[in-house]
Amino acid sequence: MSEPYRYFLIFLGAMVVYNIVLIRFIALCPFFGVSNQVETSIGMAMSVLFVMTMATTVCWLAWNYILEPLHVGEFLYIPVFILIIATLVQFLEMVLKKVSPPLYRAMGIFLPLITTNCAVLAVATEAVKPGFLKLNVAYHFSLPEALIYTIGVAIGFGVIIVVFACIRERLETSPVPHMFRGAPIAFMTAALLSLAFMGFANLLDL
Amino acid sequence: MDWSIVGKAALVLSGLSLVFGALLAIASIKFAVETDPRVDQVLEVLMGTNCGACGYPGCQVAAEAVVEGKAPVDVCLAGGPGTAEAVAEVMGVEAKTREMGVALVHCKGGLAESPPRARYQGIDSCAAADKIAGGGKACDYGCLGLGTCKDVCPVNAIRITRDHRRWVNRGRCTGCELCIEVCPRNLIEIVPRKQNVLVMCTNKDKGRKAREVCTVCCIACKKCEKVCEFEAITVKDNRVFIDYEKCTQCGKCIDVCPNNVIVRVVPRKSRSTKPKADADA
Repeated sequence: MSEPYRYFLIFLGAMVVYNIVLIRFIALCPFFGVSNQVETSIGMAMSVLFVMTMATTVCWLAWNYILEPLHVGEFLYIPVFILIIATLVQFLEMVLKKVSPPLYRAMGIFLPLITTNCAVLAVATEAVKPGFLKLNVAYHFSLPEALIYTIGVAIGFGVIIVVFACIRERLETSPVPHMFRGAPIAFMTAALLSLAFMGFANLLDL
Repeated sequence: MDWSIVGKAALVLSGLSLVFGALLAIASIKFAVETDPRVDQVLEVLMGTNCGACGYPGCQVAAEAVVEGKAPVDVCLAGGPGTAEAVAEVMGVEAKTREMGVALVHCKGGLAESPPRARYQGIDSCAAADKIAGGGKACDYGCLGLGTCKDVCPVNAIRITRDHRRWVNRGRCTGCELCIEVCPRNLIEIVPRKQNVLVMCTNKDKGRKAREVCTVCCIACKKCEKVCEFEAITVKDNRVFIDYEKCTQCGKCIDVCPNNVIVRVVPRKSRSTKPKADADA
């Protein structure tokens, strides 16, 4: 298998086939929390893409150059990654506030939310411990592969949350029975979306 | 048990924590953005409902504008004079007082008074209903009763009953004017808070045509105009207008109005003593 093709498969697998929200049910909290309006959901998607990529890079480096050589990664990766992600988000918030106020205003509300987002931790973990992955990858990701995987997951999350926000905006004006208005119809819609994405199951193998 | 691994783990975690802590400490100094402490103080005393009545997107931005001097201290319409004074105190200036009005929906006809000519099943908003052949309401000028004004009201002052009658809670209404814009039929007006005698119809049709669509419509009979001793009432385009400055609220027009279109709003407390009063407007 050629290198670019493998990258493509990792990307597609992360984005669609094993979509983080609809197939693996991670990051459901922001998925329902910030999908009321298309505009805010786009902001959230961009912030997640940004933070995930940064977090995975640092976590990959920490794993490969600190945790693994000392043989402590196996039981220490969760506290270390949480530490890294929390610090990174705080740091990014400060830098953005100073360097790029418009970007800070666009992402500002979402950055602190992402600090404790399970998706970021999940992706960082999977990027270094591919055993969690169902992509049949039995080897450690190289840094480019880890990044492509992360971007795939983040875009998968972004596309789904924006699509879902569009549907919810449409639902606002639809004649939904009174008892189903709001969260119940959103849950049902999400379930149907999830069912639809099951059609991608086993689409590709590495 | 291999104790060296415990040592390594402790070392790694404490080492990383130290490094990250130091990094954040340095960053907080290096990337510190100077903010005016008054912004937070102003934000504290604003209403905090983010209603947008002031024209700024949210209370935070309004507070920043006040501190920068771009907005007056009485920027918060929803907060009224009390908030203006609190903001003025933070900013160290004298507050100007603004006369706060109260919203009034100029329509009295509910489903019972003005039976619908069609059943509207579209989008649940007055603007949409108005676009589709004037919605279900028989009267082309009256309130559609779908509650767009109720939805935008930041303080829940507007209530719409099941038979499409509207109540504005004068105690709650802050006169923020948000509801005026959203009403597709321009029925809502901000009237002086002390004004109790009010006209409840905007129908411009001639008497007979108006009567066909509603039992509480203004038929432009001009009785009120004639009976008014202070020349406060004028009838124009088959509509009744009260000049709130000339009106002494004597109530003579209420007595002569054949369709009970002119009403006296009674404050909540005294409603029990006057059971036939037309309530909150």
